[in-house]
Amino acid sequence: MRLSPNISVDPEAPRSLWADAFQRLLDNRLALFGLGFFVFISALCYLGPFVYRLNPDSQVLALDSQLPFANVQLVEVRYDAEKATPDETTTLDDFVEVYAKNPEADLAALAQSGTLVLGDIHFRTLSRFHLLGTDSKGRDILARIMRGGRISLGVAFLATLTALVIGVNYGLISGYFGGRVDALMMRVVDILYALPFLIFVILLMILFDGFRFKILLVFIAIGAVEWLTMARIVRGQVLHLKEQDFVAAARATGVKTFSILTKHLAPNLLGPVIVYSTLLIPAVMLLESTLSFLGLGMQANMASWGTLIKEGQESMRSAPWQLIAPSLFFSATLFAMNFLGDGLRDALDVKSDKD
Amino acid sequence: MLTFILKRLGQAIPVLLAIYTITFFMIRLAPGGPFSDERKVAPHIIERQMEYYGYNEPLPVQFVNTLVQHVKLDLPPLTSHIGLTAADIISESFPVSLELGLWAMFIALMLGIPAGVVAASRQNSWLDYTPMSLAMTGICLPTFVVGPVLALVFGIYLRWTSVAGWAGPIDRMLPSLTLGLYYAAYIARLTRGGMLEILSSDFVRTARAKGASEFRAVVVHALRGGILPVISFLGPALAGLVTGSFVVETIFQVPGLGRHFVLAAVNRDHSLILSTVLFYASLIMLANLAVDVLQVLLNPKLRYK
Repeated sequence: MRLSPNISVDPEAPRSLWADAFQRLLDNRLALFGLGFFVFISALCYLGPFVYRLNPDSQVLALDSQLPFANVQLVEVRYDAEKATPDETTTLDDFVEVYAKNPEADLAALAQSGTLVLGDIHFRTLSRFHLLGTDSKGRDILARIMRGGRISLGVAFLATLTALVIGVNYGLISGYFGGRVDALMMRVVDILYALPFLIFVILLMILFDGFRFKILLVFIAIGAVEWLTMARIVRGQVLHLKEQDFVAAARATGVKTFSILTKHLAPNLLGPVIVYSTLLIPAVMLLESTLSFLGLGMQANMASWGTLIKEGQESMRSAPWQLIAPSLFFSATLFAMNFLGDGLRDALDVKSDKD
Repeated sequence: MLTFILKRLGQAIPVLLAIYTITFFMIRLAPGGPFSDERKVAPHIIERQMEYYGYNEPLPVQFVNTLVQHVKLDLPPLTSHIGLTAADIISESFPVSLELGLWAMFIALMLGIPAGVVAASRQNSWLDYTPMSLAMTGICLPTFVVGPVLALVFGIYLRWTSVAGWAGPIDRMLPSLTLGLYYAAYIARLTRGGMLEILSSDFVRTARAKGASEFRAVVVHALRGGILPVISFLGPALAGLVTGSFVVETIFQVPGLGRHFVLAAVNRDHSLILSTVLFYASLIMLANLAVDVLQVLLNPKLRYK
């Protein structure tokens, strides 16, 4: 094992499993890169809107499909000067066509002072910078990607959590009690593995299309598909752990079964569960985006990355960046998560039944 | 072997029954039905329709009736296609999906196995790193990113193929490639892993010691054992191809069964949904069985168990 020279290591000092694993992770450049990129993407999606303050829902139809790095001039129209949000946002051309009484003079006045009052209507110029351009409805793409990322990541975490809770509990019980209980519970898992689950998920999404809490349904559907492998991994681990002396000692001193499961076995499962969860997050993101791409996921104002890619595909002929920008963000995040998961698996030395 | 196959077929029956039950009640409990139309239809017409399609019986009776119809393969008429049954729809559109899936599998095997074999036999050289980095890329890129990007490059910029459709042979290229690339990447990784294990085993060393050429040692002696992980992956791969085909058929507007399934659910055509789900499930289970049989045939360790 290679250690960086500036860390003084006392050869006598015991090192925990976690310290070892952490050191191995630090030695794995790809995994560190994955972790770094994931932190960057999360920061961009959650903190980015405080810096890049464009509203992802603000549509200016006249400014559709602007190229990346577009700097556009707009005119805010207010019927009441005190109002914070404008009644309308329009382009200079539309201003001339719709509102101006004496186009050239009005435009010149507006350009000079930035504000103008015609009758009761207040106008104010506004320049907007679209880093990644706009979509086919004139909405800012980067702002939409940041919000889409929050939705994709949020769904991925919650669905992974659902899978984790079901899978860990199922695996713990099945593995610990063993015998007939185990045989029956694992038979159920085997049968569920054979089911064409995604067909059911797609069916569920279409049939409950108008359902109000569809986002909840997305968690449940994805969580219900993804817990099976988690249950198998946990069960395998428990089968091995329960034969160890510390469990026998706990049982001999009369510790209750519930406490053995939660206090003695569960902490020892942390490694494999963390590894598998890290690999599960990109898988879940992929599933959620696939549903959104098919038009079965979130509703329109909750556009995840899958929805953005779908919209980009529809206009790729005239505006390819609308497809390329969200695709790059999505693929890069999947890459980073997979590298991180692989790195954690190597660091914690967990054998997975995949590959 | 025959008892093994018969036993597996027997085990499939309760699974299919479970799938039937889940699907039946899921579509029946969902809001909306085949007769809830936006247009106003006279109540006596709806009543006649309900009677014709067997909806006026109590739910448990319908459950049994539909089950019997599926067992006898005498399928009921569809509500979304007048005068047709699910068998007509499936026999018309499934060959398209099958062709797409077979092309995709062909591409996956033709790209994946050679890449994996080369990578394993030149471990830790650029011939290993290059295909394996490409494979990692292929696994991470989702189908619905690969498809539109391929269509953009080959359909719009280079104008080699059409962007969507399923008319001529050239139209097969992009959908098959889109569906196949992920599996090519996965198969390349599996082949490399399997080959690495076999190439270090005694019988390959013996073959080399007896003067077999490198090509003979790798391709004739090692490959048969080395691709076993690929064979066991084919079962899950088929299930993935089915769902992958939903996405690919949507991207490229391929008139396959995947699109019909999505449309059937949108139209609330209960009997088409039910028949398609059962068809898919049987297909996946038959494929898994075929893969298991193939595995036993290729792996002498399993043969005598």
